[in-house]
Amino acid sequence: MRRRQFLGGAAAAMAASRVAGEPRRAAPASLCDCAFAPPQPAPPGADAFRGLGSKVKITNLKVFGVSISQTSDRPYVFVKLETNAGLVGWGEATLEGKAGAVMACVNDFREFLIGADPVQSEHHWQSMYVHSFYRAGPVMGSAISGIDQAMWDLRGKILGLPVYKLLGGPNDPAGVRGYYIASGRNLEELRALRANAAGQGITCFKGGIPGYYEWIDTNEKITAAVRSIEMLREGLGPDIDIAVDFHAKTSPSVASVIVKEVEPLNLLWVEEPCPPENVKAMARIARRSTTPIATGERLVAAYGCRELIEQGVVDIIQTDLNHVGGITALWKVAMAAAASGISMAPHGCEGPIGLLASLHLDSAIPNFLIQECCGNIVPQPRDKIWAEWFGFPAMRMVNGKYPLPEKPGLGFDLTEEALNRYPFGGSKPMARVFLQDGSVAEW
Amino acid sequence: MRNATQIRRARLAAFAPFQAAMPGGPDRRLEISSLGDYRLREPVSGRSYTMLRLQTRGGLEGYGECGEIAPRDLAAVAEAVRGKEATQFETVRHQLKNAPAGLRAALNMAMLDVVGRSAQAPVYQILGGPTRNKCRALAALGGAGDTELVESARRARAAGFRAFLVPAPPPAARNQGQAFVLAARRRLDSLRQAAGEGTDFVLDGRGTLVPGDAASLAAAFERYHLLWLEEPCPPLNLGALKKIAAENVTPLGLGRSIEEPSAFQDLLREEAVDILRPDISRNGISQIRQVAAIAESYYVALAPYHNGGPVASAAALQLAASLPNFFIQQIPFPQAEQDRKMRAALAGDVETVKDGFAVLPSAPGLGIAVNEKALEEYKEHTA
Repeated sequence: MRRRQFLGGAAAAMAASRVAGEPRRAAPASLCDCAFAPPQPAPPGADAFRGLGSKVKITNLKVFGVSISQTSDRPYVFVKLETNAGLVGWGEATLEGKAGAVMACVNDFREFLIGADPVQSEHHWQSMYVHSFYRAGPVMGSAISGIDQAMWDLRGKILGLPVYKLLGGPNDPAGVRGYYIASGRNLEELRALRANAAGQGITCFKGGIPGYYEWIDTNEKITAAVRSIEMLREGLGPDIDIAVDFHAKTSPSVASVIVKEVEPLNLLWVEEPCPPENVKAMARIARRSTTPIATGERLVAAYGCRELIEQGVVDIIQTDLNHVGGITALWKVAMAAAASGISMAPHGCEGPIGLLASLHLDSAIPNFLIQECCGNIVPQPRDKIWAEWFGFPAMRMVNGKYPLPEKPGLGFDLTEEALNRYPFGGSKPMARVFLQDGSVAEW
Repeated sequence: MRNATQIRRARLAAFAPFQAAMPGGPDRRLEISSLGDYRLREPVSGRSYTMLRLQTRGGLEGYGECGEIAPRDLAAVAEAVRGKEATQFETVRHQLKNAPAGLRAALNMAMLDVVGRSAQAPVYQILGGPTRNKCRALAALGGAGDTELVESARRARAAGFRAFLVPAPPPAARNQGQAFVLAARRRLDSLRQAAGEGTDFVLDGRGTLVPGDAASLAAAFERYHLLWLEEPCPPLNLGALKKIAAENVTPLGLGRSIEEPSAFQDLLREEAVDILRPDISRNGISQIRQVAAIAESYYVALAPYHNGGPVASAAALQLAASLPNFFIQQIPFPQAEQDRKMRAALAGDVETVKDGFAVLPSAPGLGIAVNEKALEEYKEHTA
C-alpha cells in the first residue's frame, strides 16, 4: 500500500513537471497502478506536422486473408490503406502458420494509422515499434511489414515515383537477379534443369538436404546429405551458382561436419545451418568453414540482425520483407550489413506483394546479391493466379532477372474483387515433423 | 553466349502482356546533364565552401555543397554521372566510392534537391519523414579566451540558440592534470552563468588531447551534465577512446572527420561513442542516413557536424527531419554581420533559429531558393 502511494506520488510529480510547450494531455487511459504510463496525448500525431507533411490522410485500414489453396500453411495476409485522396496502398504481412494472429495484430494498429499522413512511413514505423513496448517478434514484425509496405506504396503514388526511385535506385534498370528452386530430384532431372536454365539466362538455384536430423547424426544420414549436395553440383554443372538450405534442421555440430565435406563445391552459400536464436552457435559453424553462411529470414528489425553483423558471423543476410518490418527495416539491415561487407539475399516464400516490394529494395542497395521467390523454372498454379491479379507475370524472370515494376509506388494495381475469388480459409499450421522415436524435429 | 532464338524464347516464356502492363520507367527529364561549381569565401571569417549546381536534361536545377573541389575531380565526376537520373542518388553514391568524399556529398544533396523539386515535396518526405517538426540547433562559439567566448554565447543565445559547442582551453603542454581541468571548469562555469537558464554545452577537445588529459576532463565533467565531450582524442585512436568511454559516464561525441560508414560502425561496435558527428559536407544526406541506420540498433543518435555554408545547412535540416535517431544539428553562427549577410543573400533565412530549434523548411527539394546573383557576387576569383 505504501509503495503504491509512493508511486502514485511520483506519477503526479512527473505529470506536474511536464516540459513547457508540450501539448496538454488528456486523463490517463489506464486505471492500472503503473507509475510509468504517461497520460495519452490527445490528439495523436497528425497536428504536430501540419504544413510539413502531405495533405493525404489515411482513412481506412483493411486486412485480407487470402487462401489460394485450402491446404497451404501460408494464406496471404494483405494490408490495404485507403486515403482521402482516393489513392490506396497495398502491403503484405503474411506469416506462415500464423495468419490469424497477424491479421489481429494489423488491426491492433488501427488507431496508429487512421488520420495519419502515409508519407511519414519512418515516423509511423517508429511509433508502431516503440509504442508497442514489448518490441516486435515475428507476429508484430509481419504486421508492421504489411503496413510499412502499404505506406511506401502510397508515398510512391503520392509523389509519382516507383519505390525503387524513392530508395535511390535502380542499380540495374534491367532488373534484379533471382533464383528458382533446384527442382530436379535426380541427376537426369538436374541436367535438364541446367539446359533449361541456360536458355533462360538463369544463373542460380537453391536446393535443400534430405530428411530430418538429430543433435548428432549417423554416418548414413551425413553421407546422404553430402551426396545430395554433390549431386546438385554434378547435375547443374560448374557455371551455375548453388545455394543449399539446411533450414535449421541440423545442430551446429552436424552442420559443421556436412559443411566441411562440401567445401570443395564452392557453394554460393549454406543457409540456416542451425536455428537463429543463438548467434554464437551460428558463428561456430561459420568459423570452421570457408563456405559462405547465410541466415536471417526469421529475424525482426535491424535490432534482430545487430549481433550477426557486429560479430562478423555470416556472409549473407536474408531478412524477409514480410517479417523484418517492411522496407523501412530491411533497408536499415542492408545499410548496416553493407558497412561490414555483408551481402543481402532477401528471403521470400509468401505472396506476391512482399516479393514485388522486395525488388524495389533490391535494386537500390549496394550489397544486393540475389532475390528468392520460391518459384519454379516451370510456372506453377500460383504464378497463374498472380498474373491474373496484377495483369503481368509477377516474379517471373526475364533473362535471369525479375523486371522492376515501373509504375508509381510498388508498381501494380490490385482490386479487392480479384482477391475475393480466394476467400480466407483460416490459419493453417506449418508442417509438424517428428523423428523416428516420436520426438520433435526441425524441418 | 546465347543466341537470338534463345533470348526470344525466354521472352515468350514470360507471358506476352508483360511490356504493355509496365510503361514508364526511365525519366529523361531527370537525367543529369551538367555540374558546375561556385567557390565562396566569407569576407570576415574566411570560412570557405563550394556550391555545386546540378542541371538536368529537363531543365531542373539542384544544389549541393562541400569543401574545396578540384576542377579535375569535378570533370571526372560530371562525366561519370552524365545520363544518370537524379533519382539514382544511392546508385551513384556507391558507384563513385573512389571520388572525393566532399564531392560525393554535394552531389548527393543536389540529386535529392532535384528529386524533391520534381516531386514537389521536401526531401524529408521523399525519405519517409517528417519524423519531427523542428530541429534542435547547436552553435559553435568563437573567441580566443573566456571573455570572448562569453560574449559569443550571449550573441548566440540572443540569436535563438540554447546549445553551444565550446572549445576546451588549449593545454599548455602534454599531460596537464589539475590545472587544465580547472581551466576547463572555469570556462564552462562562466559560460553557463552568462548563457543563463535552459542552456547546454558540448566541450570540444578538438581531437588534440593526450588520452590522460582527455580522461581527466571526462571524469571531471561526469556530474556537470554536458551534452557530450567532443573528440577528446583523434577518433581513430580507438584504444584510448574505449578506455575513456569505459572509465566514465560523460557521453563522447565523435566522427566529424570520418567519411566512411564502417568507421562509425566500428566506434559503435567497440562501445566507444555516445553520439555520432558525421559532417554533412563530407558525407551528404544519404551516407549519414546509412550511418543513422547502423546507429539505431545501438540506441545511439546523430548530431551532424557542420561548419560550411547555408546550402549544407538546408540539407542538414532535411536530413534531421528524415531520421528517427537525430538529436541536434550544428548550424554555423558567424560572428560578423557581413558573413551573416552573405549567407542570407545566398539561401534566405534557412538558418533561422528560435528557442533552441531551427525551423524546418516546407518548400520542395532542399527547401531553399539559391540566389544565382549572390553566387556570382560572392564567387571567389582564383588567379
